[in-house]
Amino acid sequence: MTEATVPATDVAILAEGLVKTFQDPQRGTVEAVRGVDLDCRRGEIYGLLGPNGAGKTTTLRMLSTILAPTAGRAAIDGVDVDEDPLEVRRRIGFLSGSTGLYPRLTGRETLRYFGKLHGLEDDALDAAVERAFETFGLHDFGDGRCESLSTGQKQRVSIARAVIHDPPVLILDEPTTGLDIMASSDMIDFIESRRTAGTCVLFSTHILSEAERLCDRIGVVYGGRMLAAGTLDELRADTGTEWLEDVFRELVRRADEA
Amino acid sequence: MSASSPKERSGALGVLAAALAVARKELVEGFRDRQTLIYTFVLPVCMYPAMFWVMVQGVLVVQGQKGAKDVSVGLVAAADDFDAARAAVEDLPESGGRTTIEVVDALPSDDIESLQALVDSDDEDAPDALLVLPADRDDERKAAVYYDSTDSRSEIARERVERRLSSWADELRNEEAERREIDPDVLDPFDVRSASVAEKKDEGALVLSLMLPMLLVVMCVLGAFFPAVDLTAGEKERHTAETTMLLPLPRLSVHLGKIFAVCAASIIATALNLLALGLSAGHLLGQLSALGEGVVVELPLGALAAVAPLAVLFAFFVSAALTGLASLAASFKEGQALLGPVQMLFIMPAVAASLPGIELDAGTAWIPVVNVALAFRGLLVGDVETLPLVLCAVALTASAALAIWFSVRLLSNEEVALSGETLSMGRLFRLLRAERVQS
Repeated sequence: MTEATVPATDVAILAEGLVKTFQDPQRGTVEAVRGVDLDCRRGEIYGLLGPNGAGKTTTLRMLSTILAPTAGRAAIDGVDVDEDPLEVRRRIGFLSGSTGLYPRLTGRETLRYFGKLHGLEDDALDAAVERAFETFGLHDFGDGRCESLSTGQKQRVSIARAVIHDPPVLILDEPTTGLDIMASSDMIDFIESRRTAGTCVLFSTHILSEAERLCDRIGVVYGGRMLAAGTLDELRADTGTEWLEDVFRELVRRADEA
Repeated sequence: MSASSPKERSGALGVLAAALAVARKELVEGFRDRQTLIYTFVLPVCMYPAMFWVMVQGVLVVQGQKGAKDVSVGLVAAADDFDAARAAVEDLPESGGRTTIEVVDALPSDDIESLQALVDSDDEDAPDALLVLPADRDDERKAAVYYDSTDSRSEIARERVERRLSSWADELRNEEAERREIDPDVLDPFDVRSASVAEKKDEGALVLSLMLPMLLVVMCVLGAFFPAVDLTAGEKERHTAETTMLLPLPRLSVHLGKIFAVCAASIIATALNLLALGLSAGHLLGQLSALGEGVVVELPLGALAAVAPLAVLFAFFVSAALTGLASLAASFKEGQALLGPVQMLFIMPAVAASLPGIELDAGTAWIPVVNVALAFRGLLVGDVETLPLVLCAVALTASAALAIWFSVRLLSNEEVALSGETLSMGRLFRLLRAERVQS
């Protein structure tokens, strides 16, 4: 536990100079993330905006302890990801295209498995699973094996899995990618609902309309670096453009020229 | 899914409780996978009855075919003996097969090269075997049977000729004894007959001691093979590796849980195999008794109980090693291809250990795989000392601990856990040297 080392503020996600390099047999040392700083407060929805390969996924994976940072530091809810990754995992809900469901478990078994490992017992576990069934409308398919579910149904079970323990921090990596209109709309509704619940939501996307609609603040990531961060109005003022697409293009142009 | 929550427990107990929770979930998933079920449980259980049935039927078919085969025997004999020899050798059909005699009178009985060439000839009319009787009955030269050992018809002809010559020799001896009015046994002072003092049950135990240790190793390896690939490379293929990395548990618990699950599958598969072997071998091999080859096969429960602790240690060793190596693969198919040759590294020493003359001693007790096979063999025939057994247990414990360390270290590496391509052995050694692993 490292809560004492991080100032107790309402910042739920903090990253300072995060760096991640990989050793690739063909390309040698690859710098996927080159010093990203960000902070995300409780009850805030923060969008990481950037093209494919910008370093969004790697950044989120470091924050969720899937990857260890090469340099820099990060803390979730006051807990350092490098020093106490287990406690960090207990305080986050993480969802991405790579966090598939165990195909041979049912939706209910999946929720019970994660709930139990998060410390829910007996009545509390039953109540949490039942609440998830109600909230995400799982009653019609939640007792079928996950391998037999449709993409939208799987997405609902996945969200329920990520929040079964009611985490204070939610990290979502391109949560609407690959979803149809209805499932995508459900996801957006879900993210909005977390703001009112006081959850800190950090999500990555390359869909500008999602970012415009949902985000309290936006961080633009490009080439492994955070080019700019702020509210949409702040970004507009900084770049002198109106539309988010133009904001993004102006920031990228400046980065390429630098 | 009734895992007890490991969150509140701490220390080694907490790690173990969490590992068991993971193992339970992995086993539930494994039991629901058709491929794992078939290859780990159904196939081994059905294999022995099928294998022994095929073996017994094969023996019966071969015996029947041998009896029904028509063969021809060339006879080189003096004129005085020819008719008697012909009558003795050219007998009634054997199970439908006839032994016909061809007269070969153009060759002298001492022209061995020509006689051999005749049997070795590709000519369809050439006899399958050649019986050459000495020209003079009082001559010390013996009757000779020329045959081609690479030709099954020639082998059958030899067997029949030798059997009938033996009967004819008995007749001649009895006639001579009667003529001299003496006991026939006097003419044959040494009547050597071999008789095994071992009971059929002991012979069965010997058969099992040669077979079971190797099967124990093979079944442990086969039982762990599919679960090891499924829980590592298969998880990457199903895109659930990242989900597992998010479990609110120490990584050590997650990886130990996987190894426990693979080990449990291996032990279950081995136990089912031995059960199937015991049930099928006794019944089906008993059918060979009618052919004079029967042995009494009973599963040695005492020896099995004695070897069980060693087998469990060995299962841990195999499961951890296979799980670690399978984690290098990026897909189920690549995992199978990777572990195919690796499993031979376990099976070949077990085969070597089944060779006669090798026993469990203070030296062989330290050789992984060989030691458990030899210990089992020694326990089966009741010929093993305590010290080598203890050394064997120590060696297996060390092997299992080393394999678990190797496996956990690999599985804890983010490059291994998330790699989209199968890692080479060169990178394996680099990763094992890497200082940083996830917790």
